[in-house]
Amino acid sequence: MTASPLTLTIDSAPEMNLQVVYCNHQTADLAIRERLAFSTEETLMRAYDALRERFPNSEHVVISTCNRVEIYAAQEDALDAPSRGQLASFFAEFHKVPLQDFFSDLLEESGPAAVRHLFEVASSIDSMVLGETQIVSQVKQAYELATRTEANGPLTNSLFQRALLVSSRVRTETKLVEGRISIASVAVGEFAKSIFDRFDDKTVLVLGAGEMATETLRYLKDEGVRRIVICNRSMERAMPLAAEFGGEPRPWSDLELLLPEADVIVGTTGASEPVVQAELFRKVRKQTGAKPVFILDLGAPRDFAPAIGQIDDSVFLYDIDDLEATCDKNRRLRTREVEKARAIISEETDRFMQDVYHKATGPIIKRLREHWHEISRQELELLYRKLPHLAGEDRDAIERTIQRIVNKLLHPPLETLRVEAKEGTPHGLLDAIKRLFHLKD
Amino acid sequence: MPMHWERITVFCFFASYAMALLLEVAQFLYRSRTIRLAAVGFTVAGLVAHTGYLVARSQQAELPPLLASTHDWFLVLAWLTVALQLGLQVWNLEFSLGLFVLPLALALVSASQFVRNSPNPRLGTLRHWSMAHASLWVLGIGGVALALVTALMYLVQHNRLRHKQAEVRGLHLFSLERLNRMNWWLIVTSVPLLTLGMASGLWMTYLARDSAHPVNLASLDFIANALMWLMMAMLCGWLLTTRRPAGKIVAWRTVLACSFLLAVLVIMKILSTDGIHSG
Repeated sequence: MTASPLTLTIDSAPEMNLQVVYCNHQTADLAIRERLAFSTEETLMRAYDALRERFPNSEHVVISTCNRVEIYAAQEDALDAPSRGQLASFFAEFHKVPLQDFFSDLLEESGPAAVRHLFEVASSIDSMVLGETQIVSQVKQAYELATRTEANGPLTNSLFQRALLVSSRVRTETKLVEGRISIASVAVGEFAKSIFDRFDDKTVLVLGAGEMATETLRYLKDEGVRRIVICNRSMERAMPLAAEFGGEPRPWSDLELLLPEADVIVGTTGASEPVVQAELFRKVRKQTGAKPVFILDLGAPRDFAPAIGQIDDSVFLYDIDDLEATCDKNRRLRTREVEKARAIISEETDRFMQDVYHKATGPIIKRLREHWHEISRQELELLYRKLPHLAGEDRDAIERTIQRIVNKLLHPPLETLRVEAKEGTPHGLLDAIKRLFHLKD
Repeated sequence: MPMHWERITVFCFFASYAMALLLEVAQFLYRSRTIRLAAVGFTVAGLVAHTGYLVARSQQAELPPLLASTHDWFLVLAWLTVALQLGLQVWNLEFSLGLFVLPLALALVSASQFVRNSPNPRLGTLRHWSMAHASLWVLGIGGVALALVTALMYLVQHNRLRHKQAEVRGLHLFSLERLNRMNWWLIVTSVPLLTLGMASGLWMTYLARDSAHPVNLASLDFIANALMWLMMAMLCGWLLTTRRPAGKIVAWRTVLACSFLLAVLVIMKILSTDGIHSG
């Protein structure tokens, strides 16, 4: 892509030629998204090659995450724009997925709507977890890969750069990313850290080796936990988890020995009834005294008998419902911020479109200005030849006067162009100026 | 600059602290770093005015603030609590310390308006002993006041965690573990200071036995002070001898002992016209 976006809009394109064809977590099931995803960098590079081959006059940027697959395309000429059907065919052929399996899940936006869509994606308004921050780096990575493979061009460049700025503005000016909204982050960030001051001297006991245990351990590890003990019925499952977090796998038979040592206990066994009964825990508390213990019961059904939470005031037992209530509250707080974020995105979309339109009028303005100044320069030369006795100061004064006249004459048409460009590329006006003043492309 | 300090009134720093407290409360409605900074700004302004007032008073009385009068002694105590709050706040701006410390400081400043405003006539030759006595008491009582604050914070935090509620907007507190540790250290260091304060007071009583103003150990003032000390000593003894006491019980006992001590102290100072610290 060598042409500049300026020539793009002045000479040929009737509108800004930008489209996005996409499916996301709202339009398509995970099964479909998985089949359409460009899961590795190598696949994505092959995809760019294939896109270049099919649509040689188009710029492309592909965003592919577990929640969305999106192809952004921009062209100098509207005639080169790929249709939704053409891009759907590309997906079908590239991934070898029958078109009818996903065609209805694909959506398309173009022009300002496409710009707004990207701004919403980058600001995580469109994310499954509202306000998540991972999407920003995913958009950035997608843009960088497109740049490396030279799949993008001037319009997608300015679009993606602006999208990242908009995302940053939304994060700064709203509280969209405030408050934890995942069970594990709430458990550690809102509760465990309010009980314990430090974690490097604490023992974390994990019962079971489920997915939730992994996520919780990740947060605890970030807080500096050193001693992690994984107690599971199956040592085969306990060992990889222990290895991942530098923990110690222990057989289920050691449970009663391990409970008194623990400061944080995470239950994720998925057993059909509580694995720790109140009676057993009462015995444990007799050994430990009143030391605070944080029990995170992530099992469904629960791993700890609810009565454990009432044994004494230093036992802090939380189950999924307790944590989910806080997650919901934080989600609601974020939802209130969506309107603010949308207002910022609307403003930024308008500003971006205006910038594009202004860029479209730039070359005409430049040529008109150059043309008139060239005429004045020629006329001045003729004048100086006729009046060779003019002193340097006189010549300077004449030149300044002529420049002022030219600028004053240029002002009304240029101002009109500037005003008109706020609403869109003023093709009629540009054409009239070109014809009236004999400006060639 | 110091030459204008005599123009500072108690109202100047009282109003600054009150404004800072108002801004802390406003955080419940709208949490913002700017509001927190403004609250800290008002606290700093109040502390500067407070310092200026104490310096000016000290210059007028030609005595250190601790000895100038009971009024000044109360203001030094309030100054200490605010200075410590600011120290911690600089370390971490996010904690809602002002919400707990500023009401206490305001109460002490208010109480200072109702106590003796003139120097103790007994000072005379016992000036150095008096200074040591007043300093030990002010530090000990300062520790007790802050122990009360940390214990209250503990109870608020504990209540939230037991009820499984997320952190309230504008109310960010230390962890239970830290509050418990702070509380323990404050009690364990305050009690020896109070003990030394009591001992120095008794020694001064002995030294002043033949003076024009001998101290009556059977006075209500002395008995109340001794009771306060005894209560704190018992709390300290319990803390030191109990193996891993439950944090909530520690907090409750601290609140009871410290609020009793502070209430008795303030009431005695207000009511006492012929006590051991007056003429």
